[in-house]
Amino acid sequence: MSHRLCSIVLALSWFVAGVARAELRVVATTTELAAVAKAVAGAHADVSALALPTQDPHFVDARPHLALDLARADLLIVVGLQLEVGWLPTLQTGSRNGAIQVGGKGYLDCSQLVDLLDVPGGKLDRSQGDIHPGGNPHYMNDPRRAAAVAAGIAKRMAALDPRHAAGYEQGAQRFQAQLQAARKRWEQQLATLRGSKVIAYHKTLPYLMDWVGAEVVEHLEPKPGIPPNPRHVAHALGVARAQGVKLVIQEAWYPSSTGRVFAERAGARLVVLPGGTDFNHGKNYFDYMGEVVKRLLGRS
Amino acid sequence: MTDQALREGAARLAALWLGCAAAAASHAAAQSTQPAAAGAEAPAPAAAGAEAPAPAAPPAPQPTQPTPEDEQALAQALAADQAAAAESSPGPGSGTSARAQAGGNPASFNPDLSFIADFALAYFSEDENLQTGGHDPQHTGFNLQQLELSVGSAVDPYFRFDANIVFAQFGVEIEEAYATTLDLPAQLQLRAGQFLTRFGRLNPTHPHAWDFVDQPFALGRVFGGEGNRGLGVELSWLTPLPWYVELVASATDAAGEATARSFFGAEDLGIEGLDDLEYLGAIKQFFPLSDDWSLATGLSSAFGPNATGRDNHSEVYGADVYLKWRPITYQSYQQVALHGEWFYRRRQVPEQVLQDGSGFAALAWRFAIRWAVAGRYEYGSSAVDTGFDSAPDYLDPEWTERRQRVAANTTFFPTEFSRLRLQGSVDLPGWKDDPIWAAFLAFELVTGAHGAHAF
Repeated sequence: MSHRLCSIVLALSWFVAGVARAELRVVATTTELAAVAKAVAGAHADVSALALPTQDPHFVDARPHLALDLARADLLIVVGLQLEVGWLPTLQTGSRNGAIQVGGKGYLDCSQLVDLLDVPGGKLDRSQGDIHPGGNPHYMNDPRRAAAVAAGIAKRMAALDPRHAAGYEQGAQRFQAQLQAARKRWEQQLATLRGSKVIAYHKTLPYLMDWVGAEVVEHLEPKPGIPPNPRHVAHALGVARAQGVKLVIQEAWYPSSTGRVFAERAGARLVVLPGGTDFNHGKNYFDYMGEVVKRLLGRS
Repeated sequence: MTDQALREGAARLAALWLGCAAAAASHAAAQSTQPAAAGAEAPAPAAAGAEAPAPAAPPAPQPTQPTPEDEQALAQALAADQAAAAESSPGPGSGTSARAQAGGNPASFNPDLSFIADFALAYFSEDENLQTGGHDPQHTGFNLQQLELSVGSAVDPYFRFDANIVFAQFGVEIEEAYATTLDLPAQLQLRAGQFLTRFGRLNPTHPHAWDFVDQPFALGRVFGGEGNRGLGVELSWLTPLPWYVELVASATDAAGEATARSFFGAEDLGIEGLDDLEYLGAIKQFFPLSDDWSLATGLSSAFGPNATGRDNHSEVYGADVYLKWRPITYQSYQQVALHGEWFYRRRQVPEQVLQDGSGFAALAWRFAIRWAVAGRYEYGSSAVDTGFDSAPDYLDPEWTERRQRVAANTTFFPTEFSRLRLQGSVDLPGWKDDPIWAAFLAFELVTGAHGAHAF
């Protein structure tokens, strides 16, 4: 009994110690957002990500221990546009933390910070596949939009933790300056892809291709979220050959046999992009985008 | 012409297709309109094939259109992906959906609404089957298991409101309607209204989150066909321990044949004192054993009055365990989940105490992107008195021997919003001479917003 009491006291003191820490506790849903948040906050915040880079952010299990992170969070940063709709609301409610509920001062939906693409119009239903009514949520693979996200994150962090407002501002500026330099380099390297046509597995590439200046002419999925079937893939192969597609691009969280054989048959190269950055092992946004660029260029 | 060749090849492939041929055909039909639209802005192959640029571009030996060899290789690759994969969208539960959330959707104060329909074609080898679930298929032939309207929304910064209203063939039932606090201090949370109690793991869930067509008989036997629920209030506490420990306590109405049958059940004796309510206490823990392995455990207990006489009480104790493997550190669609629950019940009746145990163990395997299989074993002992002698059970007088049931099923998920499930089971009630065989073909549709699901 006294043993149990002891452990409870220990746990409580750990909890109180946690509260007393000066750091802002930040939870991001994806690793790219976490990486940008960390770049902005530096030592002023403790940042974690809910999903792994190897995990499709549409389909994350609401494992209850994630609610613990949220319970203790000052700021929850989300991609929005219903990317996390299948799992995040459960965790938010379970966290019992009013600050990070939708509309709370500790809830930041980054989709509101960027220009969106693929915003569907007209009548929507799921006969169109698993579409995102608010627009395409895969904007973090565009460094221009990541820069805008960094500014928005800094602003919110400054509001939550005014003591370090200058630090967040500087963090964002430093990140943006570095990104500017890196972008120049990447854009030079990627110039060879400008104007090229690509085939994507899922609708994850509009922002990346918008930046690169390439065009997605067809997807391996017949409709978003519907797995490829022979008829559609045969159609896509026809498109690829007719339009001289040189790249077939997918994220690592999709199976790659179809893409590989498809690319071979189409005389194209399969590019498997990282789903995110290995934030838990110290990787940052530049590692992520650097890897994306490298793989697009076939240098991995 | 090229278009036709393409179609012929594709049709051949579709017939060979590993997945559901019907589904593939419907996709194909849906797409047949797409290329035309695409052709308007960028030359699609069908259109381009007839014109100059496409044939000119590739050198002669490589035709624009896929050859049978191409198609075969692609079919194999697709099959490989399908086989290596089981869908990363887990069941209809946890996928993306059109739930309105801030950012994106046009501003609206409408709550999230969804309709979930469950139909089943059933066969029973005996007319008098022993299905105990309120939404189980009940008779040979077509069954409407339920049509559920689920409504949910934040009320204000302090509460959210959720309701599940179920339409059956001849009536409407308010299954759940409750408020949940969002911002109590000290990681406390209050629920108030009518809700499914958090006894065990399965009880608080709805049929579309289940791996089987029917409810385990343990729930129907102990709590009733609808599972344990009632009007009341619940307080839960997410403890500040470093791992996930949640404590739950609730007080609910003890009446209801389908919701609290081991308590007042059908015969409401009325409330004369505080011990005429049902009280529940539970502890839930979660252990992320690794990125890929999860373990959730729970211990539950419920106490309340029963209808065999004033001041006679019932107690139910439960243990649940859920072990799940879902690799997320590399590309895979596979998921394996082991789920077991046990219910031990003690009921004070005139001149004796009845005790019995019931439970189930289920194993579910999502083995391909759209396919899953599951198996379940169930056990229920007969009621005995404190001397472990067989004693008549006033609720189930025929239940004088142990009962076992085994079920197995396979599920096809066209998307996370629809599923087709074929289930077979054999029920072996010790008090019957013959086993009861059953087969169900169940079809579920989810439309509208779909809330996120708990783990």
